[in-house]
Amino acid sequence: MDRRELLKMVALATGGVVIGGDFFLAGCKTKDAEIGGAVFSNNDIVFLNEVAETIIPKTTTAGAKEAEVGKFMTVMVNDCYEEADQKIFHDGMKKLDEACNKMHGHSFMKAEPAHRKELLTSLDKEAKEYMKTKKKEDPNHYFLMMKQLTLLGYFTSKPGLEQNFNYKQVPGKFDGAVPYKKGDKLFA
Amino acid sequence: MEEQFDAIVVGSGISGGWAAMELCRKGLKTIVLERGRQVEHIKDYPTTNLAPWELLHRNRNTNKIKDDQHIQVRGFCNEANSHFFVNDKEHPYVQKKPYDWIRGYHVGGRSLMWGRQCYRWSDLDFEANAKDGHGVDWPIRYKDIAPWYSYVEQFAGISGSKEGLPQLPDGDFLPPMEMNALETHVSESIKQKFTDGRRMIIGRVANLTRGWNGRGPCQYRNLCDRGCPFGGYFSSNSATLPVAASTGNLTLRPHSIVMEVIYDKDKKRAKGVRIIDENTNESIEYFAKIIFLNASTLGSTSILLNSVSDAFPNGMGNSSDQLGRNLMDHHYHVGAGGNFDGLKDKVISGRRPNGIYVARFRNINEKTKRSDYLRGFGYQGGASRGMNWNGDGIGSELKDQMTEPGDWSFWLGSWGEQLPHPDNRVTLSKTEKDKWGLPQLEIDCEWKENEIAMRKDMMNSAAEMLESGGIKDIYTFNDEKAYPGLCIHEMGTARMGKDPKTSVLNEWNQLHEVKNVFNTDGACMTSSACQNPSITYMALTARAADHAVSELKKGNL
Repeated sequence: MDRRELLKMVALATGGVVIGGDFFLAGCKTKDAEIGGAVFSNNDIVFLNEVAETIIPKTTTAGAKEAEVGKFMTVMVNDCYEEADQKIFHDGMKKLDEACNKMHGHSFMKAEPAHRKELLTSLDKEAKEYMKTKKKEDPNHYFLMMKQLTLLGYFTSKPGLEQNFNYKQVPGKFDGAVPYKKGDKLFA
Repeated sequence: MEEQFDAIVVGSGISGGWAAMELCRKGLKTIVLERGRQVEHIKDYPTTNLAPWELLHRNRNTNKIKDDQHIQVRGFCNEANSHFFVNDKEHPYVQKKPYDWIRGYHVGGRSLMWGRQCYRWSDLDFEANAKDGHGVDWPIRYKDIAPWYSYVEQFAGISGSKEGLPQLPDGDFLPPMEMNALETHVSESIKQKFTDGRRMIIGRVANLTRGWNGRGPCQYRNLCDRGCPFGGYFSSNSATLPVAASTGNLTLRPHSIVMEVIYDKDKKRAKGVRIIDENTNESIEYFAKIIFLNASTLGSTSILLNSVSDAFPNGMGNSSDQLGRNLMDHHYHVGAGGNFDGLKDKVISGRRPNGIYVARFRNINEKTKRSDYLRGFGYQGGASRGMNWNGDGIGSELKDQMTEPGDWSFWLGSWGEQLPHPDNRVTLSKTEKDKWGLPQLEIDCEWKENEIAMRKDMMNSAAEMLESGGIKDIYTFNDEKAYPGLCIHEMGTARMGKDPKTSVLNEWNQLHEVKNVFNTDGACMTSSACQNPSITYMALTARAADHAVSELKKGNL
């Protein structure tokens, strides 16, 4: 799958446009690493890894944590997001924790996997509902950002590609009608 | 500092590479002046072997790229190929109307990142201006260029299928690439359900389906725009320039911005060019018997406009006042797509760097004549089936869903002809200069009535063809912000023609008024047709180089 298609599909899967994607093009001026003094700490990366792992957990194949999606999210937010979206993402980490406190009475990092999943499932629904009525100029939803970056980061990672798919860097040939049955690994 | 050569070639992109190879092979001591840096085949393709996870931003554009290359990113500049596109801040131009000028300033030019689709023109195209009165008549016909198409195809290596379509002549092809399962299905449906002769065929592409002239074959990575370590597709860097160098006749000078062509008014010939070194700002003159301008459509025209002398106060060879006029591109970002509920037991393996093509089927004869617009369009696109991105929710269920195949989908985009119009033009700014003190180009170009009318049919016909193939959930698109330039098929501004009063170049791509100056890039095009133009530039270049050397030997230049 080429990148353009991947972006289109990430948008599809998360019910909207790709935040910071190719469609936000001309002349945005963002400071490189810092957003009003807000930078990502190592704790943030640990936190984001757990969020990502809840979205794409380890099963018979690696999860998002092993694919270092937390770190990937911080790189993308710093380097590719517009300033307003960077702020939404940073505030979003706090909001996610607050939502966890409200739902389960403690922070996300202290929550057990089932509680984490329950929380993110509800945030996923909330973000999807929000997108249905969102106008273009309305701010983006932080959880949409986290989910998009998780899917993009995981499905372009080495373990994400190599363990879930028949990934070939140099295919050497093309076959446009390969027999498929459920359970076969897809070419990537 | 002065240096004498037999020939000067300005630019090393797709047509400059051909000019260099042909002139060197014919024994001429040739200097190629390239305005940008050196890019050596394989050695200077830094991203070519990177896996998706080895790109820090997974091939997404960073804010820095979006800022420095704010025009380039409107095309397909990305993290993995951005080093092959110009920095827009260093190469400004004036947009009198929105125009996306997408460029690569380095050895090889855009032959490194081009789309590689290669379609011959036919007399439907060469006769178009004469028949409907837009622009001037082409001074050549298909029979004049046909042997040169064969000549360049046989060297470059173009894969494709022979179809016998009069409006899209067959060439000397390498074996075609394969259609995938859904493309085969839709192609068959179109053949059966449309009586106007329209055909969906596999794309004709300069990717090698077998080893060819020491290059390739294509490995189906679909990473062509990073440069190919297998030499799997045609570029100046992989193909023409190495052959030119192997003759011992080639001098390649990067960092050489040609400012002007120097005119000898006594001999009525050009005697050389004056360059400015990109890095040192040193001004140097090079002299030669013949000069090929292959600096790209707008690059070559800029040089001629800037070559001012007593004999040519408005630019060299511009007594007709046609230099800079009739700028064309193809209009696109219009078409349709959808999904297919079937072929669930088939998937794809490999990344084919090519799609399907639908040859023009409007205004090709009386039966297909339209009342709402002139000329026509083709389609490119294709079917794909990948991961299931309709996966919903969170957790292992989402992961399981996403690693299974989704539905097949089909996408069809249309590429339409733009009529030549004298008001679509470029001029040199009287006030704005670039960092080398050269006047900036002012571009004043827009889609006009005929293009806008054509787009409705381009969109609706795409949906209609997909529907005939059983595609569901069809969506259509017609991007009004796809400005001229975006298709990167800029043509015209120094058109060929029969009459020196109404054209800049003659039937051999010589300036009517300065016979030892040739232009064989997109600037020479008299109309735009709707096919991707590069193979026509290659053929015109080889043809003109052959003529140039023959004239030189006869003492006519």
